[in-house]
Amino acid sequence: MAAAVQKKICMLGGFSVGKTSLVKRFVASVFSETYLTTVGVKIDKKTVELSDRVVNLILWDLAGEDDISSLRMSYLRGAAGYVLVADGTRPSTLEVALSLRRRVEAEFGALPFVLLLNKNDLQEQWAIGDGEVENLRRDGWWVRSTSARTGEGVEDAFGALAERVAR
Amino acid sequence: MSTSAAATLEWLFRPLSNDPGIDRKALAGLLTELARNVEPQLGAGPNGVRPVDPRLGQLRSLLFGSEIETLSRLSEVVEDPEQLAVAVGRVLPTAIARVSSDARLGEVLAPALEKATQSSIRNDPRTLLNILYPLIVPAMRKSVGETIDETFQSLNETLKHSLTWRGLRWRWEAWRTGTSFAEVVLKHTLVYQVEHVFLIHRHTGLLISHVAAEDAAGQDPQLVSSMLVAIQDFVRDSFSGAEHQGLDTVRLGELWLWSEPGPFATLVAVIRGNPPEGLHETLRDVLSRIHDERRHALESFDGDSSGFADVEASLRECVALGQRAPRSAERGFPWFVALAGLVLLALAGFGGLRWWQHERAWQAEQQLQEARQRIWDGYVAQLRAQPGIVVTEAGRRDGKFQLAGLRDPLAVDPQSLLRQAGIDPAGVASHWELYQGLEPEFVLKRLRASLDPPPTVTFALEGDHIVAQGSAPSTWIERSRTVGRMLPAGGPTLDLSRVSDVYEGAIGKLSAAIRSHAIHFNFNESLPAAGQDATLDQVATELGDLASLASTMRVRARVTLTGHSDDAGNGTFNLSLSLARAEAVRALLKKRGVDPDMLTVRGAGQFEPLEEASSEAARAANRRVTFKVGIEEQ
Repeated sequence: MAAAVQKKICMLGGFSVGKTSLVKRFVASVFSETYLTTVGVKIDKKTVELSDRVVNLILWDLAGEDDISSLRMSYLRGAAGYVLVADGTRPSTLEVALSLRRRVEAEFGALPFVLLLNKNDLQEQWAIGDGEVENLRRDGWWVRSTSARTGEGVEDAFGALAERVAR
Repeated sequence: MSTSAAATLEWLFRPLSNDPGIDRKALAGLLTELARNVEPQLGAGPNGVRPVDPRLGQLRSLLFGSEIETLSRLSEVVEDPEQLAVAVGRVLPTAIARVSSDARLGEVLAPALEKATQSSIRNDPRTLLNILYPLIVPAMRKSVGETIDETFQSLNETLKHSLTWRGLRWRWEAWRTGTSFAEVVLKHTLVYQVEHVFLIHRHTGLLISHVAAEDAAGQDPQLVSSMLVAIQDFVRDSFSGAEHQGLDTVRLGELWLWSEPGPFATLVAVIRGNPPEGLHETLRDVLSRIHDERRHALESFDGDSSGFADVEASLRECVALGQRAPRSAERGFPWFVALAGLVLLALAGFGGLRWWQHERAWQAEQQLQEARQRIWDGYVAQLRAQPGIVVTEAGRRDGKFQLAGLRDPLAVDPQSLLRQAGIDPAGVASHWELYQGLEPEFVLKRLRASLDPPPTVTFALEGDHIVAQGSAPSTWIERSRTVGRMLPAGGPTLDLSRVSDVYEGAIGKLSAAIRSHAIHFNFNESLPAAGQDATLDQVATELGDLASLASTMRVRARVTLTGHSDDAGNGTFNLSLSLARAEAVRALLKKRGVDPDMLTVRGAGQFEPLEEASSEAARAANRRVTFKVGIEEQ
């Protein structure tokens, strides 16, 4: 598959939103998670088969910090798109995701991205209003609620992102 | 022409501000008249057109007035360099921007730019230096660093392998091929294998191409390449290294990760073993070739590596790089080590022998030196004991014995002592100042030399006194006494009390004995009377003794024979008779072996009678020859 198109995708999100779990369950992973705490980034690959081609999403899983100023922006250099992850049970993580997006946009301009509201298996604790999501969608955001545990929405999300970055 | 350029030129061609436009009425009139000229039947007016019709000029100015003015303004601009420069300057940047994609522009400008650069450097080199400094310094630092690394590596390997069998073989190889030994060592010892080569897009960290060695294991190269970039970013961010520098080298045990950054892509080689520093150069060459060939493709890479199939061939070159391990056969019995051991032992033995010999020789030399020193010390001690010699300095300098001091001329000759001691006089430098010593021996020696004592005098040392003994002529005794009084005070004194006057000695006794004899004569006879032979014999014997004694005492004895007569007869006759009697005795004594030269004769006649009486007995007693002894110094 060497000829497949590769795209660098960054996974961004606040602390403990489940980014790593998403990646761990659904992507080919070779590196240990300790990389996240040491180097601050872990690389994984998600192969997405589109109708006309295959796209290898090279996922840069950046260490989640609620303090977005500590994000190593250099890791985003050359990214074709990014995945914002928030914890659906913690509205503050959505705020973090929004500010992360602003920061990325300020630095690298508009890039394709998807917003994943993770942990949708915990419906009883869900704390993000549908109205809020609707507002975002109306602004052109691609938002999907996912569950790293059940796998719901994850493939869709990567597929949608692959579609957009490989266009 | 494009709009912007047209706009730029617009001002040149803009109409005059007071352009009145064309006077259509006048133009109509002119045209009618022109038509009439062409077709006379149209009717010629009173103002027919002349060959040179000023109206044509008017027509021209009517038709082209503004253009003519524009043209004259243009020519004015073109002909005035100042205005032309201003005009061209306005469009120059745009013009260059327009044609920048045209390769000819670069070619045309290059010589001028070169000249400009040269003159700029001539004027002030610092300007260019300041411009280039940020580029040059990191490059130089890196280059110098790598050169030092290479040197160290070369040195390490050289040291490690300089004393092995392989080392010797490589030395031979180096000699044979004319390369340096270090290079040969590196060639053979740097066992390494390039296992993976990644060509990574710098901006995105995405893998452009990857080639692995056949048996090399590895993770998904796409992930690895991104991770490598991430780690580089991490290091750069964490340790605030220079912005454009990444990780050159990562080492993990025997695994090396060498990274060569290019403008658009980074070449990362994973190397197992011990790669030579020169491999950096090879990798850089490959990278720069890829950049040359695929510059645009690299620049616009967006994750689609399908167009980079040909790059793989270049990367495969890198993977082919490696240095095989030496054959394991050489790990058998270490013959060379054994041989080297033997050689070392032999060398050690030989060295030991040499050392022992040397030690022996050294000891012998040492002993010889000591012996020499002992002999010398003995000699010096002997010299010091010598009267009349004062040693003030004795030592060794420049391999020669040195000797200095005072020496009495009468003292023993140090040179002769040297020979006696068995020391080579050539090895001794000596310097002696002369002086007179007051040692009794020397005083005595000097006395002997100056007094020249007769053999009958002997000298002896008694304490501080020089005592002379024996007999000597009184004159000698007197002279010696004078000399003795002039001896230096404080030194030995000369005692002459035991030297007797020779006259009081043997000579005195002999003289008395000889004087006591007399030879008697008969009347009127000049020959001795009968019975005088015994006396003559006695006298002759005593005279012989005297002569020999005088000779030993270095004095001269003179014996006078005096002839006498009695008072009978003529006086003159008696005188000659008495002389004849003395002559006769002299002859008789000569006959008895007495040297006649010591005898003088004299006739006393009748005037020195023994007895004054004139009796016959008195007369007989007076007829005689008497002896008188005189001692003279020679």
